[in-house]
Amino acid sequence: MKYFLLFFFTTVVFNANAQSQLVPNQNPNYIVSQHHYTRILDSLQITMNTTVQDTYKAYDWYEAKLEKKQNRINTRYQARLIRAENSNYNYNYGYNYNNNWGWGYQRFFPSIAYRTGNWWFRW
Amino acid sequence: MKKISILFLGFTLVLASCSNRKVSRIDPSETPDISGSWNNTDSRLTAEEMIKQSLSEKWLSNHLMEKSKKPVVIVGMVTNKSHEHIEAETFMNDLERSFIMTDKVGLVQSGKKRDQMRAEKADMQTNASVSTMKKFGLEKGADYILQGSINSIVDAYKKKKTVTYQINLELTNIETNEVVWIGEKKIAKLVKN
Repeated sequence: MKYFLLFFFTTVVFNANAQSQLVPNQNPNYIVSQHHYTRILDSLQITMNTTVQDTYKAYDWYEAKLEKKQNRINTRYQARLIRAENSNYNYNYGYNYNNNWGWGYQRFFPSIAYRTGNWWFRW
Repeated sequence: MKKISILFLGFTLVLASCSNRKVSRIDPSETPDISGSWNNTDSRLTAEEMIKQSLSEKWLSNHLMEKSKKPVVIVGMVTNKSHEHIEAETFMNDLERSFIMTDKVGLVQSGKKRDQMRAEKADMQTNASVSTMKKFGLEKGADYILQGSINSIVDAYKKKKTVTYQINLELTNIETNEVVWIGEKKIAKLVKN
């Protein structure tokens, strides 16, 4: 039994040594690197067989000019839209029938009257 | 009634003439330059040059002499550092195809396709019959990894522009880190607006 156990352990140790045996000129610390890269393998391999787009915007005089022109058109268009939407609030403060704070035209813009405190009596 | 029919016919004709889109088939090898951006011709020229360089240079004969068997290559990452969106897969696929067609270089799958293949193999372990089930751990290991980069230089003033693309592919020995081949293709264009 004693001889059998001795033979068994000798065989196990011999096999373990054979597996971790270095090939000629191999760095003995290779296992440190192997463990490190095995741990982060998935994240490093995510870009395999793909094109990583790391593009930049090149300055093109002509395109910049066209872009500037288009921006100006867009800005003017937006300004016109805003002006059209808010036209009733921006002007006509006069004492006439269509002013924004009197009666008549204002009935299309519901608000609570400051004296009566309700929606129906405007004063 | 006749007048109405004539009017209707005229209206239909006017509507038909409004759609002026015309599509015609062209030879993929003769794609015309339209905007001056990267196009099919650039991709094709790059592929042709890379195929020619990779299959005729020393690394291949050196490997055959050293190992007495054809090299196995895996495709890695290509970084596009140019000013345009360029998909390298178009010319990389041509290159991979040439490796297989010439039978000079072996190719192993990588990336998402490889993951899918392994997933299928895992699925087989529980669903396929024992005689047809494929085993894990028998994949072929690559000798070299193919990586690349795309760069560009743009010089523009008023209505003139020059664009130079530089495409580089590198083949590196996975075990020794030694770069055994660098393929290069330069494409220059003059664009007038």
